Amino acid sequence: MTASSPARTITGYWTDRPLAFKGLVVVALPLAILFGALISLYLASNAETRAEDDVRRAFAIQRDTYQVHALLAEAAAGARGYVLTGQPRFLEPYRKAEAELPATMNRLDGEIRDAEVRRGFERIRRATTQKREGLKTIVALAGTRSRSQQNADALEAALISNKIVLDGMRRDIENIQRRERVLLDQRQAKVEDVRNSFLVLTAISAVVGLLGSLAAVYLFSTGIVRRVRILEHNAELLASGEALNAIPDDADEIGILGQRMHKASALLRAREQALRESEERFRLVVEGVRDYGIFALSPDGNVVSWNLGAERIKGWKLDEIVGQHFSHFYPDETRDFLPAQMLERARAAGTAEDEGWRMRKDGTRFWANVVITALYDDTGDLRGFAKVTRDMTERRRSEQALRAAREDADAANLAKSAFLSRTSHELRTPLSAILGFGQLLELDSNAFSPHHRESVNQIMKAGSHLLALINDLLDISSIEAGGAELRVELIDMNALLLEVHALASPIVSAAGLKFLLILPPNGVKVLADRRRVTQVILNLVANAAKYNRTGTLVELSCAQTDEAVRVSVMDDGEGIKAADVSRLFTPFDRLGEQTRAKVEGTGLGLALSKRLVESMNGQIGFEQRDQGACFWFTLDAVN
Amino acid sequence: MPARLINNEDILERRILVIDDEDANVLLLASVLEREGYSDVHCLTDPEQALASYVALAPDLVLLDLMMPKVDGFMLLEAFARHDQPGEFRPVLVLTADTTLQTRRRALALGAKDFVAKPFDIIEVALRIANLLETGILYERLRPK
Repeated sequence: MTASSPARTITGYWTDRPLAFKGLVVVALPLAILFGALISLYLASNAETRAEDDVRRAFAIQRDTYQVHALLAEAAAGARGYVLTGQPRFLEPYRKAEAELPATMNRLDGEIRDAEVRRGFERIRRATTQKREGLKTIVALAGTRSRSQQNADALEAALISNKIVLDGMRRDIENIQRRERVLLDQRQAKVEDVRNSFLVLTAISAVVGLLGSLAAVYLFSTGIVRRVRILEHNAELLASGEALNAIPDDADEIGILGQRMHKASALLRAREQALRESEERFRLVVEGVRDYGIFALSPDGNVVSWNLGAERIKGWKLDEIVGQHFSHFYPDETRDFLPAQMLERARAAGTAEDEGWRMRKDGTRFWANVVITALYDDTGDLRGFAKVTRDMTERRRSEQALRAAREDADAANLAKSAFLSRTSHELRTPLSAILGFGQLLELDSNAFSPHHRESVNQIMKAGSHLLALINDLLDISSIEAGGAELRVELIDMNALLLEVHALASPIVSAAGLKFLLILPPNGVKVLADRRRVTQVILNLVANAAKYNRTGTLVELSCAQTDEAVRVSVMDDGEGIKAADVSRLFTPFDRLGEQTRAKVEGTGLGLALSKRLVESMNGQIGFEQRDQGACFWFTLDAVN
Repeated sequence: MPARLINNEDILERRILVIDDEDANVLLLASVLEREGYSDVHCLTDPEQALASYVALAPDLVLLDLMMPKVDGFMLLEAFARHDQPGEFRPVLVLTADTTLQTRRRALALGAKDFVAKPFDIIEVALRIANLLETGILYERLRPK
């Protein structure tokens, strides 16, 4: 963070506040000022009312004091008239004063606020009481009608004292009047003051209110409006995909909105960039593909794009073919229906594939593989078709050649197998006679000379060997002819291996070897032909026993790998020369024919085993060991 | 000789018809049968005469080869079956060089009572012949008169 100026700190503080706070401030500020002005207005008008009240009371006091004076003066005059005339008519003012004075005095008592005036009023009140007493006395004296001297003296004294009281009272009233006038002036001056200060206060309120509103508008403008304008401009830029103007990263909603907008803009631009690059790549790839003709069709089948591969395969250049209908690519015999059919299929199923003859620009034909894919937009409207064409002419030619070759080979193979089968059969029939008669002779051999016995023996031995050969040949040929009689069943390998071990033990023992059997701890099961599996294992064990001239044992074992069961037959004999390994499974190729002339066998055992195992989806193979050989085969395991 | 339920002489008197197009095989079977002591053996190398002979001789057992020219063993098995009266027991032992499963199944399905592959062990064949004849005699004895 860099040090910022106080001004920046304040505006920063302001812009960082949430919008609700700003709104509150902007609305509350003029309201508060307005409220203050209203209060001052109220106070001012209150003060003025009070001042006017004072003035009004001053006038009332003046009036009432005059009235007191007037009532008393009139009462005194009336009393004098009554004294002089004795006519009760003159008593009217006296009676009026007696009636009205108490109320007037009370009113005055209630209205007087000033201490000096009150002192004067108290004197007046006393004087009034004296005066009324005096008048009462006068009236009483005058009413006695006994015109005595004493009476006349008392009356004169009362009149004189009354006159003195009234004079004193008149002075007091004048004093009060004077004082009240002074007070009235003071109060009127005060009213003027209050009115003036109210005017000033109103002016100040107006100015402050104006300033407050201006400040609020300024704050609103700096805090919101100006920044919203920037945002609005940025939004326009965003809409038109241009780069946004930088904005300060303020912490309020507008600031956050601005930052989000920047983020969105960056994201959009990155995506747009990626999309543009991807489109560019894609376009380059499509245009550059040479082995596939890739082009687009309008919904009614006119060419709208064209790549290098299409040009190479079909011969038209981009500007020659765009706008043309794609039925140009079809030869005469299919042009009328196949293009429409293809589009219909693509429309119905999404994609349509076809292989057949198509035409190049120069009219030559090629064998094409065509895939048409219907292109729909987001709303499900058909936008057109993408068409991918491959020139399969070469491949078709080679496939046809290959197929023909394979068919020839298969036919030859079948013919060979049929021939072998027939031959084996034809050989067995006479052999049946030879062995049958040989056995007859053998049964009667007690009667023969040793020489003849030996001859019969040789006939039987050679005949048996020939029979074994023929049987193996027949087996191989029947497998190759596809007529192998597999009776597939679920086999428990452990049980089968135990059986085979028992079956083959005499052969291995006869060769002077030990025969080990190693079974997997958990039994394994395979789907295979029991007789064939037994035949293969017997064959491998017999081979091991036959050829192990130097070792001491033959080992039969079984193990399960991932999906296969593997049966191995191992011995610790001389093993097999590396050069001979490739010939192991070839018919009649008995290894070491010269050196092992004494070893019996048809030379078909391994070849037959290989065919049997393969007919059951298995594999057979050989591994050289440090000491001896290992033949193995696999079968599909059943879990 | 294993113990039999039937007197050996009774078995040896039964009538046997041998049908095979190979002279050598017919001779071999005849020799084996003769050596065993059978007295009523008839041999045939022309399969076209086989049905007539079968009807004429009404043999107790037929030894039949399957692979023969013109009229093969399967056709004869069908013909024999058509000719046989209900309740008659005339076992046919098939002897053939064709040992395929299909052939064995087909022969047995057509009524052959036993099946031996060529070349055969003559002692085994002799035993099977005796067994079939013994079965035939037992069958006749059980059959209500």
